[in-house]
Amino acid sequence: MNGEGSLTLEAGLEQSWAILLDPNVLQKCIMGCNKLTQVEENKYKAELAIGIAAVKGKYESTIEIADIENLKSYKLIVKGEGGPGNVEATGVIHLEHQDENQTLLSYTYEAEVGGKVAMVGQRMLSGVAKLIIQDFFKKFGKELKNIEKSA
Amino acid sequence: MEKVIGKAVTRVEDTRLLTGQGKYIDDIGTPANTAHIAILRSTYPHAKIISIDTSEALNLRGVKGIVTGKDILPFVQPFSVGVSAPVKYYPMAIDKVRYVGEPVAVVVAKNRYIAEDALEKIKVVYESLTPIVDIEKSLEEDAPLLHEHIGSNIANHRTFHYGKVDEAFEEADRIIKHKFHFPKYSATPVETYGMIAQYEESSNQYTIHANFHGPFVIQSVMAGALKIPSNRLRIIVPKDIGGSYGIKAGTYPYMVLCAVVSRMVGCPVKWIEDRQEHLSASSSGTDRVTYIEAAVKEDGKVLGLKMKLIDNVGAYIRAPEPACLYRTHANSTGAYDIPNLMIDAYAIMTNKLPTGLIRGYGGQELYFPLERIMQEIAHQLQLDPADVLRRNLIKKEQFPYQTASGGMYDSGDYEKGFELALEMGNYKEIEQKREDARQRGKLFGVGLACIVEPSGSNMGYITIALTPEERASSLPKSGCAEAATISMDPMGCVNVRISTTPSGQGHETVTAQIVSDVLGIPREQINVVAELDTSTSAWSIASGSYSSRFASLGSSAVFYAAHKVRKKLIKIAAYHLQADENDLTIENGSIVSKKDPSIKYSLKRAAGSAHWNPLSLPDGMEPGIYETYYYTAKVAEPPDENDLVNSSVTYGFVADMVTVEVDPDTGEVQIIDYFTVHDAGKLLNPLIVDGQIYGGLVHGLGGAMYEELAYDDKGQFLTGSFMDYLCPTAPEIPNITIKHIETPSPLTPLGAKGLGEGNTMSAPAVIANAVNDALKLYGVMIDTLPLSPNRIWNLLNKAKEKRGANQV
Repeated sequence: MNGEGSLTLEAGLEQSWAILLDPNVLQKCIMGCNKLTQVEENKYKAELAIGIAAVKGKYESTIEIADIENLKSYKLIVKGEGGPGNVEATGVIHLEHQDENQTLLSYTYEAEVGGKVAMVGQRMLSGVAKLIIQDFFKKFGKELKNIEKSA
Repeated sequence: MEKVIGKAVTRVEDTRLLTGQGKYIDDIGTPANTAHIAILRSTYPHAKIISIDTSEALNLRGVKGIVTGKDILPFVQPFSVGVSAPVKYYPMAIDKVRYVGEPVAVVVAKNRYIAEDALEKIKVVYESLTPIVDIEKSLEEDAPLLHEHIGSNIANHRTFHYGKVDEAFEEADRIIKHKFHFPKYSATPVETYGMIAQYEESSNQYTIHANFHGPFVIQSVMAGALKIPSNRLRIIVPKDIGGSYGIKAGTYPYMVLCAVVSRMVGCPVKWIEDRQEHLSASSSGTDRVTYIEAAVKEDGKVLGLKMKLIDNVGAYIRAPEPACLYRTHANSTGAYDIPNLMIDAYAIMTNKLPTGLIRGYGGQELYFPLERIMQEIAHQLQLDPADVLRRNLIKKEQFPYQTASGGMYDSGDYEKGFELALEMGNYKEIEQKREDARQRGKLFGVGLACIVEPSGSNMGYITIALTPEERASSLPKSGCAEAATISMDPMGCVNVRISTTPSGQGHETVTAQIVSDVLGIPREQINVVAELDTSTSAWSIASGSYSSRFASLGSSAVFYAAHKVRKKLIKIAAYHLQADENDLTIENGSIVSKKDPSIKYSLKRAAGSAHWNPLSLPDGMEPGIYETYYYTAKVAEPPDENDLVNSSVTYGFVADMVTVEVDPDTGEVQIIDYFTVHDAGKLLNPLIVDGQIYGGLVHGLGGAMYEELAYDDKGQFLTGSFMDYLCPTAPEIPNITIKHIETPSPLTPLGAKGLGEGNTMSAPAVIANAVNDALKLYGVMIDTLPLSPNRIWNLLNKAKEKRGANQV
């Protein structure tokens, strides 16, 4: 399963970049993320609780940020394992300066699921993946506004 | 008294089943202190197990123990299987998982809820390996290996040459060939696997109650895996099994697993499989790639066939596989007189659920390519498909007919059956229907198929998986033994015990019919006990419910056991009446003289004297009335040194004609009519017969149109619920018209042959033929299943694109 998309962030490039890599923001924006703890630089452990179709459950995950090109792009590698099965997803996020207050974010992702999630959730998976990603950026946009306001 | 064999009498089972008094595995109760288990299963298709951490799960209140693959090793050894490839199949993964759903650990807890909760707390670390799911890619040199020590993914390979194949292909006007793929699909009984296992340390005995229905040769396989003398493994099968259609033969690895777990945790354990487990990890039919080549004359006569069969037996080859390859070996040329045959047979392993018995076993995989190529011959030679079948059908006067591969078709009148099917379907008027449909914007098609339905498997056939040299070094296997026990109690009432472990086919009813006719007692007064207990029942390796063997073999054992009782009763009466045994017969509850009906002796008194007054019996006669008969057919011989084998005892015939309409805009297939003619010899109970035919046909319809256990190319299983795995339900069932002809089998005492699998074998082929006929103008070739609207739509669109391109 794979996909891509893009959106415009209402912030300048540097600010967008900084917030995208802020673990507190990440935790707030990832759907079902109850806990995010850093294990080493750019590597986190996360507890995710996500329901896909009839398969609800907890995943113990690692989230790794790799291939960082400052102010330009990075790769997000998520590996999760739990009762409902396993998930492996890779996303590449790319930022592009538009003007002082606008940055274009584009992304591509690839995801593989295994176990029960694949067994009974296959019909919904691409829909759910889109939902999770859109939800992430929606929340992220909100965070960005909040930070601007408080600034 | 009126004879009841052959009458459509109602089933004795139905009252209890319809009033909630059936005794299924989940109804029989459990021993005190029984714990419940839940199974942790692999989410990876192919991976090394690095570690399993059970500590957190063990701390959960109510958990009695957790058992992993490595833990069971002291108590088990790999299951034996009839191939020379040294595959090590254990009931639980040891150091590597090879399919999604493979058991990795078992939690034993006070109840199932706790056990399921504990599963989530077990932490398994896997190292993922490259999976392989494609049949042909599994044979490539650089394919990932499932079992490294074997050096390839091939579990079995044999080549057979019968007749003069090369000459036939040289003599032919045309060689018509194609590659077909039959998908992996299942049977979906309402009742899933279930079992209660108990280990008793004092006697070193395992007792397992399970809805396992044989073949009971697997009792030996299980005892071997448990490393105990076989009489220390007692298997008890409940009176009622909620359907199986072959799939429940695959309960045995779980029976061994539960047995070992009971021993290690120290209490009886119960497991009822859930539906997801059933679809992903029970057992399934075998998916097959077939390359078929037919050497034909211009008039459509087939001179010879070459077939390369590649069966995918899943992650581990396990008994009874590779039987899917060989169950139909004797009838490889179907209903046709084709003396020259070459078969190149492979069983290969991939990262999918291991396979096993399923209704039709091997038949649908055989007839899909065979019947498709017969239609293709007609298309390519521009002949009427009906004429091509007529030209090749075995003629009535050729029976008993010996097939190229050693089959001995006992009886039949195939031409009569086929013509009847064409007449029922009004085949002559078919062009009119095609035109009518065209006017409505629909594509009309007609499909034909003629198949031979084997029944009563010869236990020797599976040894054809070995070469003649390999066979010579082990003990030969033959026969198809089945037993029945009939007793009369002191009051003259009859009990019958059978070992055919029915799963809904009505064996109790037919048994009562047979005993009633032989002993002259109303069938309502006969008590039939269908529970099988390997410690107390009369059984043998072939016992069980599979290969449609009740009508040919089980019924014969009952018939001869009843005759033993009859003979004893007549002897007793003759002694008391001072009459000639040969002059006596049984009528209306009495033993009477044929010459002088006033001379008679009551049946009840004859039976009673064997209990109440044994000193009154003729000299040398044992007291009591308790007779067991073991029946086997003589024609079930071991394969010979030329690999000729008669793989079944009786061979029925099915002729189908199906009409369909395809919607060219949506790809939806609508079956207009399904006409089917059956010849299963003498019918024992036409009511049960038609029920079996409907059921078998609907299972075949599922295979043709809906059902597939789908995996993605990474080996993930995609159809784990009834929302993903589509089964036909009542609204999908088309108009079905059944007719019978009865050509009695000369081999069985009642002239009966098995049935109930015929349309499971034929429906995928005949429906595919009908759809292919409907799409003929588009140049479409149907070579795989199921025929989902999606598949048909894609085929049509590709054909349209191609046509468009050609016009430019």
